[in-house]
Amino acid sequence: MTSPALLELSGVAKSFADTVVLAPTDLAIAEGSFVSIVGPSGCGKSTLFNIIAGLLAPEAGQVSLEGRDIVGATGHVGYMLQKDLLVPWRSVEDNITMAARLTRRVTEADRAEARQIARRYGLGEFLDHYPKALSGGMRQRVAFMRTLVTHQKLLLLDEPFGALDAQTRLEMQRWLLDVWRESGRTVLFITHDVDESIFLSDRILVMSPRPGRIVADLANTLARPRSIDILTDPVFVELKSQIMHLLHGGEQ
Amino acid sequence: MKRGLFAKVALPVASVAILLVLWQVVVVLFHVQTYVAPRPLDAIRAVTGNWSLLWPLVWEIIKETVGGFVLGAVVGVFFGVVMSKIPVVQKLLYPTLILSQAVPVIVIAFPLAAILGFGSVKPILAIVVWIVFFPVTVNVIDGLGHVDHDLLNLAKVYGASKWRTFWHIEVPATVSPLFSGLKIGATYAITGAFIGELASPEQVGSTGSSLALYVQHANANFNQAAVFGITLLMALIGVTWFLAVGGLEVLSTPWLRRSTVRHWRRQRIAAPQDGH
Repeated sequence: MTSPALLELSGVAKSFADTVVLAPTDLAIAEGSFVSIVGPSGCGKSTLFNIIAGLLAPEAGQVSLEGRDIVGATGHVGYMLQKDLLVPWRSVEDNITMAARLTRRVTEADRAEARQIARRYGLGEFLDHYPKALSGGMRQRVAFMRTLVTHQKLLLLDEPFGALDAQTRLEMQRWLLDVWRESGRTVLFITHDVDESIFLSDRILVMSPRPGRIVADLANTLARPRSIDILTDPVFVELKSQIMHLLHGGEQ
Repeated sequence: MKRGLFAKVALPVASVAILLVLWQVVVVLFHVQTYVAPRPLDAIRAVTGNWSLLWPLVWEIIKETVGGFVLGAVVGVFFGVVMSKIPVVQKLLYPTLILSQAVPVIVIAFPLAAILGFGSVKPILAIVVWIVFFPVTVNVIDGLGHVDHDLLNLAKVYGASKWRTFWHIEVPATVSPLFSGLKIGATYAITGAFIGELASPEQVGSTGSSLALYVQHANANFNQAAVFGITLLMALIGVTWFLAVGGLEVLSTPWLRRSTVRHWRRQRIAAPQDGH
């Protein structure tokens, strides 16, 4: 990883009342990489996300994106949650252009881009549909397109596939890898699912609670493009057991 | 579709018809005196037979009902938005607003008429507003208070301004609760107009009378057929207005019933300007 860091955190910390939610954390994310964060509930991963997104102000530390200080500032990253957060009163097309609508006037170029991206990823026939007419997987896809057209270099995805069934989930993971490769974005991806983190990422950060902190930073050298065959690859299995021990080691 | 229409129209109409038939049967069977309760057919005839005399009065109360309702809706939305956006104002005003509804309208109507001017339409409109605004305000506060917090956070992450978040997320998310309040207000509006006419009885419009005065006279003359007939008529106006507001709700919330946007919106979306 020789490319310069897109995102840099140094000494970022946060407490609520007397609980240290996030111990001072340093982190550098290379441009174009896919980095996963795994950890149990309460390990501070969502807090970390909210600080990067600008929703929470850290007590201490620096957050910089492309060298610019973004502490407490919004409008710099793409952001997607387990809930698709599509608005029911807008069509698929209008949901994809939501970020533009919320910050400025929606232009014909925005609409054209939304239509193009929806067609490219198989939702062209649903542009005029309301979200409720879509399946869970399709809705998450629309939510991701909405995130993509913000043109932010860094995308924060907080368990985006957590609510989907296993079959749809695997489909969505493969689709996400395709889109990521084509778009050249940098992805920071939170998940509970160890398999998912290995299948998707270049690098896996393992977090642990009380206080929330990064306990391991593992490189994933599995070659891309990846197929489902890697789920049984020895490298995959070894990495998985390593992460499992980090997450559950104390319990045995 | 046909079954839906049957359930929506035929069943309610049938239930009203059954009620009228039962009424007729009871009055005839038990020889109820006409000054106690008239036969429904007589009640209807008391209205249709005097239609040319009644119509200006009916038209007047319809205007008062609709005008007061629209004003009340505007006032209700205004209070709802201001109170939910400025917590201090909400704490300050909420108890007073609840108090205003705890007072019987019929009691407050007379001093209100004295203040705003006997015989003018102002007190009548004020009383309709008094009745209509409250359910609207309560529902708007509720709606704005229950917008998905994650959605508001998402807007924040995008760097959305407060105004755009309000207009593109909070307002549409509050449309359904708003209509719940409007529909409650719509059923009560006609009652408000009637009470207003009682309290402010002189020289309404150009007719020199009012429906409320007419009912009072009929009552004094033991003309129960006219009293019941006009009661039925007002119920009909109330129901019609409720249905009109309900219809407006259906038009305003297509996403609740349709799976695609309406045709005129669809054409714009499908416009092949991007070369596909």
